Amino acid sequence: MNDQQLADRHFARRSRQVSRRSFNAGILAPVVGAALLPLGCRRSIRSGSASEPLNLLAWSEYVPPAVIDGFTKETGIKVSYATYSSNEEMLSKLLAGGTKYDLIQPSEYTVEALVRQSKLAPLNFDRIPNLANIAPDMLHLPYDPEQKYSVPYMSGTVGIVVNTHKVAKPVRGYRGVFRPEHRGRIVVVDDPREMVSWAMNTLGLNINEVTPQALERVKPVLANWIPLIQAFNSDSPKTPLIDGDVDLGVVFSGDAAICYQQDRKFQYVLPEEGAHRFIDNLCVPTGAPHQATAEQFINYILRPDVSRLISDKFPYTNPNLAARKLLTADQLANPASYPPTAGKLETFRDIGAMSSEVDKMVTDLRVKYGR
Amino acid sequence: MTPMPTATGLTTAGRPPGVAGWALMAPLATWLGLFVAAPLVILLAYSFCQRDALGQVVPAFSTHNYARVFDVVYLRILGSSIFYAGLTTILCGIVGYPVAYYMGRAPPRRQSRLLMLVMIPFWASFLIRTYAWMTILKENGLLNGLLYAARIIPDVLSGPMHLMYTPFAVVLGLVYSYLPFMILPIYGSVERLDGSLIEAAADLGAGPLRTFGRVILPLTWPGIAAGAMLVFVPSIGMFAVTDLMGGNRVLMVGNVIQNQFQGAGRDKPFGAALGVTLMALFAVSYLLAARSRRDRTR
Amino acid sequence: MSQTQSPRPTKFISHLLGAWTIAVMVFLYLPIVLLFVYSFNSSSQAIRWQSFTVAWYGRLWHDHELVDGLINSLIIAAFTTGISLMLGTAAAWLLYRYQFPGRRLIDALLLIPLIIPEVVMGVSLLALFVVMRWDVGFATTIVAHVTFCFPFVMVGVRARLEGLDPSLEEAAMDLGATPLVAFTRVIVPYLRPAIISGGLLAFALSMDELIVTSFTASPESYTLPIRIYGRARLGLDPSLNAISALLIAFTTLLVLAAERLRRLHTGRAVATAGSLS
Repeated sequence: MNDQQLADRHFARRSRQVSRRSFNAGILAPVVGAALLPLGCRRSIRSGSASEPLNLLAWSEYVPPAVIDGFTKETGIKVSYATYSSNEEMLSKLLAGGTKYDLIQPSEYTVEALVRQSKLAPLNFDRIPNLANIAPDMLHLPYDPEQKYSVPYMSGTVGIVVNTHKVAKPVRGYRGVFRPEHRGRIVVVDDPREMVSWAMNTLGLNINEVTPQALERVKPVLANWIPLIQAFNSDSPKTPLIDGDVDLGVVFSGDAAICYQQDRKFQYVLPEEGAHRFIDNLCVPTGAPHQATAEQFINYILRPDVSRLISDKFPYTNPNLAARKLLTADQLANPASYPPTAGKLETFRDIGAMSSEVDKMVTDLRVKYGR
Repeated sequence: MTPMPTATGLTTAGRPPGVAGWALMAPLATWLGLFVAAPLVILLAYSFCQRDALGQVVPAFSTHNYARVFDVVYLRILGSSIFYAGLTTILCGIVGYPVAYYMGRAPPRRQSRLLMLVMIPFWASFLIRTYAWMTILKENGLLNGLLYAARIIPDVLSGPMHLMYTPFAVVLGLVYSYLPFMILPIYGSVERLDGSLIEAAADLGAGPLRTFGRVILPLTWPGIAAGAMLVFVPSIGMFAVTDLMGGNRVLMVGNVIQNQFQGAGRDKPFGAALGVTLMALFAVSYLLAARSRRDRTR
Repeated sequence: MSQTQSPRPTKFISHLLGAWTIAVMVFLYLPIVLLFVYSFNSSSQAIRWQSFTVAWYGRLWHDHELVDGLINSLIIAAFTTGISLMLGTAAAWLLYRYQFPGRRLIDALLLIPLIIPEVVMGVSLLALFVVMRWDVGFATTIVAHVTFCFPFVMVGVRARLEGLDPSLEEAAMDLGATPLVAFTRVIVPYLRPAIISGGLLAFALSMDELIVTSFTASPESYTLPIRIYGRARLGLDPSLNAISALLIAFTTLLVLAAERLRRLHTGRAVATAGSLS
């Protein structure tokens, strides 16, 4: 007796049952295979043809299917769409190699990091005349001072959503969210840098001065918060809120705006301790196989009628002034999309090698304190 | 592997391969070398590298990934993964064995009907079946709706059961996904069971419990072992069920590894070190099991 | 004493087992049935039944992600099945027939895909593709799928080979058949059940795989499970109910057809045997 025989015996049994049942049905297998072969051929011929698809690596729930279908309809170019739910995940997928993407959507601090490592291709703005639609105060920001590599897509904040039917006490900041009585009723975005910034704001630290000393102070705060969290979800943190699986969330403003649209019982609060204002951009990574197509796509996205479709579906703050004119009064009055009062908001800066420490600390803490 | 003597005593396994044999061998050996051995070697090499700020792999030798793996925190996650996978396996065994036994001893007509009933979920995607449970367990899902309709809970807003995103939901999802993988191999060994042995045991005065413990269980053990392997191995590396049913919170080692390679953790060398450790754990336990089996048969 | 007493507890136990089996079947099928029923619910909220509709099924046609995912899955599964059958049968034959240096190594390597957790296999293959600078896509996904499918084929074929009577092949050779003819005319027909079941298993494994694929596929080659997983992460979605119901219906039909064909076949075999005697 030996290992192989044992394994054989296991699987022999399994396949024997399978074989008895499906001996004759197996006749179907070659038929199905024969039916599929032409499909495979068509596929491979098509992918070798002139109109190669545009490989888009975008945030999940950020580019509406109508926008992508519209581009394909107008140009005949297929768009294949992979998603991520944090800048870190995007970097993982982009830098893992294996797939060459044409277009990515990094946030401000990630643009800065990518430019520093020469991972972004300079854009040919002759192909992107619609850049004129973008609000001037959204251009030439510190992460891309010469506006060479990026085009703003959407901006927003990370703030607090409260289901006021379930949480009576007013919540003003992170301290109000992460309270023992809210254990198991909280959803947060799954993002190490974000979580660290909440703790730093709570401690009154500058969220862009991430040092080992600062992280030492952040650690006990997160250690207290993490066990209270019910779900980590960056794909669609609105879902557990709307479904009633949780009552509070620290989420993206676009998700908050959808919650508010669905039911006014959801309130959006910009944390009093301070919050992250993010600007997501469209960028082309170096070595992208279809840069010209990517630029064509960027220009298409910047068209008011297209940009408006995005705002309809994902109500973030639209930096496209021409598109904003097309929005309804209701859309512009949504306090999560267009906050009436400017809170204490700050963008992230690239923190270089400290980002490894942030990732490591949050991974360790979640493994240690996550229930 | 020792060559198997065949029924006629003529062993055909001893022959050295001719030209045709080597021609068959070449693609097989290439495939195994390139897609089974080489990836594991590269993974091993990765596990001694480091990451840079963006999360790229930097070829600078370091053992600190292993120091981190053997930190209490990660040993605990390995432990809890083994616990959850083990619990899933045991629950599948407890739930599935009686079914498999009943199937195996049933009259042929009923046997083939029941087998078909198990085959359908066996062939249907585990993802779909996990999704089915999501629709049931969510706060505004079918279970709470039913309880509400039956007036067991007063209304949807106050007092629904919180079941999603709990370890209970994860284990339920895993058991549900892998139960057919436990039932089928056990059924296979029950079906082969010689009925006269059970009768003989009964004739000799053994009660049902004794017959089960002394005759049935040992004879169906290979089926149980096969089922356990088919349940345990996929459970321990699973990240989809823990993500969907556990809110990405009930962390298992599969989630941590996936998070390093494709998620926000982006420390591939560390993920590789965890993967290598998991693999080593499997190899060692497999060798130990094989040795103890050899000793027993000797 | 046992003669008078044993039937009663046995019968009781058998009833108990039957009840347990029914309970487990309900556990296995209730969620599937609910999924099926609620795929016809016009409300997108799962909790209450609004009215009957087939609209979600109609929408599937226009859902490029899911349709392309299904087509990709079928293409990948078809190629995987073909290659796995060739490699798996070759491996089984080699190990059954020949003694050669490195046999133990090959044996061990064949075992690895059977016992390795999928996540480790996925990341190790991704690492390989990155080092080799192969763009991930259809080819890498098929490679990955074949790697975990063909050992299953090998195991099934090898189990059947071990029951092969060597005199069968010898007899064919004695009658003047070349080794190749003996192989294709004698061995292959004998192996057919194992090959067919191995092929079905490979097809099903490939169609269902998520974990390894998530590391080896590109957006262009994303399979149906990857798309379904992506959707399910966003929450409940009536389109998922509909496509799940369709897939389960398809699986059920396939299993039923297999059973029907088997019965037909045995029926015909009995009839033939009867007419011969």
